Amino acid sequence: MARITAGVASSHVPLLGVAVDQGKDRDDYFGPIFAGYDWTREWEKQEKPDVVILVYNDHASAFDMTIVPTFAIGCGERYKSADEGWGPRPVPDVIGDPDLAWHIAQSLILDEFDMTIINEMDVDHGLTVPLSMMFGQPEAWPCKVVPLAVNVVTYPVPSGNRCWALGEAIRRAVESYPEDLNVQIWGTGGMSHQLQGPRAGLLNREWDNKFLDMLEADNDEVRHIPHIEYLRETGSEGIEMVMWLIMRGALGKKVNTLHRHYHIPCSNTAIGHIVLEPADEQAVAAE
Amino acid sequence: MSKKPTQNIHEYLAEFEDIPGTRVYTAARARKGYHINQFAMSLMKAENRERFKADEKAYLDEWDISDEGKEALLARDYNRLLDLGGNVYFLAKLFSTDGLSFAEAVSTMTEYTFPEYREMMLNGGRSPEGNRSIKGGY
Repeated sequence: MARITAGVASSHVPLLGVAVDQGKDRDDYFGPIFAGYDWTREWEKQEKPDVVILVYNDHASAFDMTIVPTFAIGCGERYKSADEGWGPRPVPDVIGDPDLAWHIAQSLILDEFDMTIINEMDVDHGLTVPLSMMFGQPEAWPCKVVPLAVNVVTYPVPSGNRCWALGEAIRRAVESYPEDLNVQIWGTGGMSHQLQGPRAGLLNREWDNKFLDMLEADNDEVRHIPHIEYLRETGSEGIEMVMWLIMRGALGKKVNTLHRHYHIPCSNTAIGHIVLEPADEQAVAAE
Repeated sequence: MSKKPTQNIHEYLAEFEDIPGTRVYTAARARKGYHINQFAMSLMKAENRERFKADEKAYLDEWDISDEGKEALLARDYNRLLDLGGNVYFLAKLFSTDGLSFAEAVSTMTEYTFPEYREMMLNGGRSPEGNRSIKGGY
């Protein structure tokens, strides 16, 4: 049976992709950011996940205002890096896992999550930057990827509670897949940042760290944070953190923290990164 | 029997207007700014960028955008564009066409010059203190 072995959360600031692509990732500015990912890169080499379910948001790249899906799952064979206006990032194509993705999509719909199915799309920095952060610059990405795109741009975006519940449903879907697969789930975006208006540049170290503490906790209180709190405390784009709750919801009640990293600033944004593994009895018993 | 909504949409939306210096991209803004945002998306294609750069006004005249919208686009007045329903991820296609980084474009919406803005970010960013609520002043 397939199983979710770990959850990873990470910011996906486009400038991090630029730093990797231009070899600036160890300079004075980016060095402290990337140093916080060294542990994870080594750990991923040991873990060798077969598939990553990668929760991210599109930034007006694959989706414009023509269609705005709240939750969309990529069931395609492969995805190219999107041209976001300055040419596509020079990264390998992202290889999908259509069998698993369709299984998850079907299971989620039966579980009353009305998913949008995507067979063809390009993937932007929201998806490729986390891959670079975790895997560096390989010839080919070392695992398959099931993209899960969430609308966090046009309001209302899904509630934290709904995101958590989707994570729980994803776990049930994965655990009912017969193939023996090591699956990780990643939540990306955040942490505090605001990219618009006179309040742009807002960062909130204290709140971000409280959020990381809540992810580590043996309870699900974090799912009940209302949108207005994210907006007031972490800036208009801090709302991306609801995507981390899909990851956290998929890990069960109890988790162990394997790694945690926080850094201010990267461009307009506070960088957050955490690696968790499921630790509740059900997960332990299944091993 | 119908279920009561988890949250009242009117109360939900009203709270957004209480955040200082912020335009949350609501459905109302998305409708208002639809053509501004779709125009910006068109700049994802190299040939459209070339045509826009060659004659910005003529390119904008092909779109169903108000005169005020066109003026704000030509002036790169991003705060006004937000008021007109523009969204920063769409407007990013315009400032990328201009060769501006995200941070530089974002800084034009604040009270700071770009070097001052960068300095603020290096020093920990804008504090949430006093920036959370207009009515509450906290």
